[in-house]
Amino acid sequence: MNHSIMIMCEPSGDRILPVTHELIFCASLMADRYDSSITAVLPGNIAGADAISGADLLVVNSPGLAQYTCEGWEKAALLAAEQIMPDIIIIAHTSAGYDYAPRVAALLEGGCITSVAGIEFTPDGIRYRRSGFHGKLDLLYKAEKTPLVITVLPGAFPAYDQPADHGTVSYIAADINPLYTSNLQFMIPDQSNPELEHAEVIIAAGKGIGKAENLQMIREMASCFNRSAIAGSRVACDNGWIGYNAQVGLTGKKVAPLLYVACGISGSMQHIAGMKDSKTVVSVNRDPDAAIFRYSDICIVEELERFIPEFIREAEKHRA
Amino acid sequence: MKILVCIKQVPDQESRPTVNKVRTWAGYAENASYWINRYDEHAVEEALRIREMIPGTVIDILSIGPERVKSAIKRCIEMGADRGFHLFYDRDDYLSPSIKSRLIAEFCKNEKYDLILTGVMSEDIMSGQTGPMIAARLGFPSVASVVKLEVNAEKQSVQVERELDSGHRCSMEVALPALIAVQSGINRPRYPSLSNVMRARNTEIKEIRCTGSLPASQYETVEGISEAGSDRAGIRLEGTTAEKAAALWQLLHEKSLI
Repeated sequence: MNHSIMIMCEPSGDRILPVTHELIFCASLMADRYDSSITAVLPGNIAGADAISGADLLVVNSPGLAQYTCEGWEKAALLAAEQIMPDIIIIAHTSAGYDYAPRVAALLEGGCITSVAGIEFTPDGIRYRRSGFHGKLDLLYKAEKTPLVITVLPGAFPAYDQPADHGTVSYIAADINPLYTSNLQFMIPDQSNPELEHAEVIIAAGKGIGKAENLQMIREMASCFNRSAIAGSRVACDNGWIGYNAQVGLTGKKVAPLLYVACGISGSMQHIAGMKDSKTVVSVNRDPDAAIFRYSDICIVEELERFIPEFIREAEKHRA
Repeated sequence: MKILVCIKQVPDQESRPTVNKVRTWAGYAENASYWINRYDEHAVEEALRIREMIPGTVIDILSIGPERVKSAIKRCIEMGADRGFHLFYDRDDYLSPSIKSRLIAEFCKNEKYDLILTGVMSEDIMSGQTGPMIAARLGFPSVASVVKLEVNAEKQSVQVERELDSGHRCSMEVALPALIAVQSGINRPRYPSLSNVMRARNTEIKEIRCTGSLPASQYETVEGISEAGSDRAGIRLEGTTAEKAAALWQLLHEKSLI
């Protein structure tokens, strides 16, 4: 079986973002196994692109691709797929990837598996692993139709790192212009939070705290530690309990403190992506099956409203 | 303006899934509680807000699933939606978003919606595919992860703001008809009003049997399910609440963290 693998580069301006090299690593595992060709597709408006290692580069060149639009990237992917005839298309699970990847799969009438965390080889082909059922189970998927479109979680694979292995560069001159999308404007809201960014200990609150009043006990718990700060999951921020500048997760801040205490956080992939590099993780949750426990060094199955005041009393006892 | 909101009913996140015998899908106990997918509830709220701005707007709700999903559709009508449609499907197995989106796109062809709203993903499976796929099949533009939405009826467009990675945002104008997949935080979903609860009692939910018309081809299948593996060798503290609190303090103290 000889695969043809197509990767969609993750560009930012005329730079290729590092996650692209993780996609190439993922593709190289398949290529080693099936003697496949790997083509990385770069949508953009770029005159002289540099060759990249691990894949041939195909630049889809069009003035209408100077910035990301869903329809532009979709058309670039379809155009490249016509030329490459891929068995599999690998896209990063980023805000761009999950915006257009499912559309590409639907238009090519292929299979689609999003937020893939790993791949496994069987005598009968490749299997794709992702988590489901609130992160409580690991699901192994099999493609039944080609081409298969997958989105791969950033960080799921290491970066491809063989600098000598440069591929060719070729171009498709295209005339892709967004028909439905206009007035694109990019914004970077001020979400700075030096206290959180420099904290050695982070006490994070999730949906499980239940109400705004319970934030007080989270603050009190934080004050038991030196150089501490409080943070929240997406739900805690959406509910207005904590400001968005203290949101930890894929769409918020990535933190890596010495100690991360997750209080009433279920542990969605989005949240885990923001805190998995913490040195020590403690989780308190009343659901014994909560996904957060998979990412924790110390797991405590308890009601927060009982446990946290008890812990604060314990800490005060030692301080006295 | 005619709006469709596609919703999914999901199990309470604290319910324990039971894997079936062939290990290809999981189900929940009979008495498990279900609710409207949180992201979809925001989509319903957004539709209601649009109707407040543009009187005469009609809001339809659509959901795929077994008999129980009628209660989720009904809840949306109690929130203020006008009509409910239930695509009946009661097999307890993996239903590919590719197939779901084909069924929904088929339904939409007769209804001519100006705007389709969905949540950005489901809370339980989180694949985020069905919305963009519906749009692709209908030839609509789509935007995922929208945190701000304003309809410009005159220009037949929507002004949206979407979330990008690491807190960045992007605003754009998108021509209607379009599909918008909303992110949580776009609004605060309302509670049903008494008058709408009364009205919902008399609103019939139209059931459409789709099991017969399912496309035969599979796109991808789930071949195995296992308990999620652990990234860290975590220890579980045992004993009374006080004992656990003391043990935690001790462990953190040994690591010089407290």
